[in-house]
Amino acid sequence: MADFFLRSGRGLVTVMAVFWLVFLVAPIVVTLASSFTSSTYLTFPPPGWSVRWYLSAFESEWVWSTFWNSVVIAVVSTAIAVALGIAAARVLARHRFYGRGAFEYAVLSPLIIPGVVVGFALLNVSVLIETQDAGLLNLIIGHTMVTTPFTLRSVWSSMAGNDLSLEEAAQSLGATRWSAFWLIVFPLIVPGIVAGAIIAFTFSFNDVTISAFLSAREARTLPVELMSHIEYLPDPTPAAVSSLMIVITLAFFLLVERTVGLGVFADR
Amino acid sequence: MKAGRFPASLATPVLLAFAVFIVAPCVMLLVKGLEPTAETGEWPDFTNVLGVFDSKIGQQALNRTIRISLIVTAVCMLAGYPVALFISRCGPRWRGLLLAVVIFPFLISAVVRAFGWTVLLGDSGLANKGLIALGLIERPIALVQNEIGIIVGETHLLMPYMILSLLAVLQRIDPNLRHAAESLGASPVSVFWRIVIPLTLPGLLTGTLLVFSLAMTAFATPFLLGGGRTPILTTLLYDYAFTLFDWRLAAAIGIVLLILGILFVTIHRFVSSRGMRSYG
Repeated sequence: MADFFLRSGRGLVTVMAVFWLVFLVAPIVVTLASSFTSSTYLTFPPPGWSVRWYLSAFESEWVWSTFWNSVVIAVVSTAIAVALGIAAARVLARHRFYGRGAFEYAVLSPLIIPGVVVGFALLNVSVLIETQDAGLLNLIIGHTMVTTPFTLRSVWSSMAGNDLSLEEAAQSLGATRWSAFWLIVFPLIVPGIVAGAIIAFTFSFNDVTISAFLSAREARTLPVELMSHIEYLPDPTPAAVSSLMIVITLAFFLLVERTVGLGVFADR
Repeated sequence: MKAGRFPASLATPVLLAFAVFIVAPCVMLLVKGLEPTAETGEWPDFTNVLGVFDSKIGQQALNRTIRISLIVTAVCMLAGYPVALFISRCGPRWRGLLLAVVIFPFLISAVVRAFGWTVLLGDSGLANKGLIALGLIERPIALVQNEIGIIVGETHLLMPYMILSLLAVLQRIDPNLRHAAESLGASPVSVFWRIVIPLTLPGLLTGTLLVFSLAMTAFATPFLLGGGRTPILTTLLYDYAFTLFDWRLAAAIGIVLLILGILFVTIHRFVSSRGMRSYG
């Protein structure tokens, strides 16, 4: 009897798990498949196969201009977020001071504040000080602030296991503070920096919420432009663009998997 | 850990950035949202913030936000548990692959995922075709541009958080506990109910709070899958900001969302510190 329960219980769990795992990949597979359709409207499965929508995507001016905007914003904001993340992680890993809790809370606050609030609050300020037309700058600022918690967490956890005495030994042997950091600490936290940078880049490149508010005028990002095309343009070009974004994300995903492992996501 | 002095040279640039670009804008939002509506009014004026709950559209959006978030959380719980259990029981090879299946969608842009769902849930999409083939419906029903679309999209968006929270606790369960219970005569069913479930409660709670708070504040998914007629708080904020140009009301909704965000993190911190204590 117990055996029967065990087997049917396990079977039920397996069936449900497989269903929901299929659910998780379904929209991705469908997007990829329908981007190769030969027809002028979207159906799944497609009536025939062709790459015409990829050609159409590559020929579209909006795809290229917004793609470059997105890359520039992601690269610059990731670089700043990594620098801020290293500094903040070092403060939190090495120092105890009055207000340390408040410092941690401040730096992690973008995880608490809803994205629409960050986006609208920054837009509100930029209108007030009349910088709302500096779209790229506003987007870089917004993305930097929101991705710094990711770089902080990832660098911080890679600092946690480090032996402080190594750095102190180097300093007592005559190394300056800077050279002790660069020669001892930095090599040890490189995995954390790489993981944090990849997560920050991916977040920035794919973000819609904050970008929807800040790129309202100029300097639209690829996801925001894609969003308006999905709303108004019923041809399958957005499917091809979406598929290209999936492939780019997959490249970064595999990079994380090969370099630091998927644990960086699971440990959160 | 060095004790004492404030590490000014390292901490100041970071603090400055957050003060200028996060704290100050949020304070400005507060100022804007509490601006007096009447010429003679005084600051702070709570009319707008309370108006979010008073106006018909605001109330509908609030109710819809809560309703959708509750349903999404429940579905994520019921769906995420078997998935996490299944993955935790797999061998290392399969576990790696399935973990990738869970984590990968979570990195893809919300726009792209919503797009996939519009294709799947559309009138001639696979979901409608499947339901017709099963004989459950006769003609295609509307699955997007309404609450169903938002629920499906948000479930897809947030289920990975639930699965990862559950996996974190499932992997920490000592297999000896199960062996001990079984050797003492416990049936697999009672091992599940009396050992696995109680030990995974902290993870379930973390996942639930995370999913619920993220469901309340999701934007792109409800924007694309809900259409114009089913606003939730976040998309209503966007509408006020960009189509109705009433920034005072938009700021008021922002304040409500900000309070909700802080509330959930506080509950989360409280619960997780309690949870850690009672479950070791």
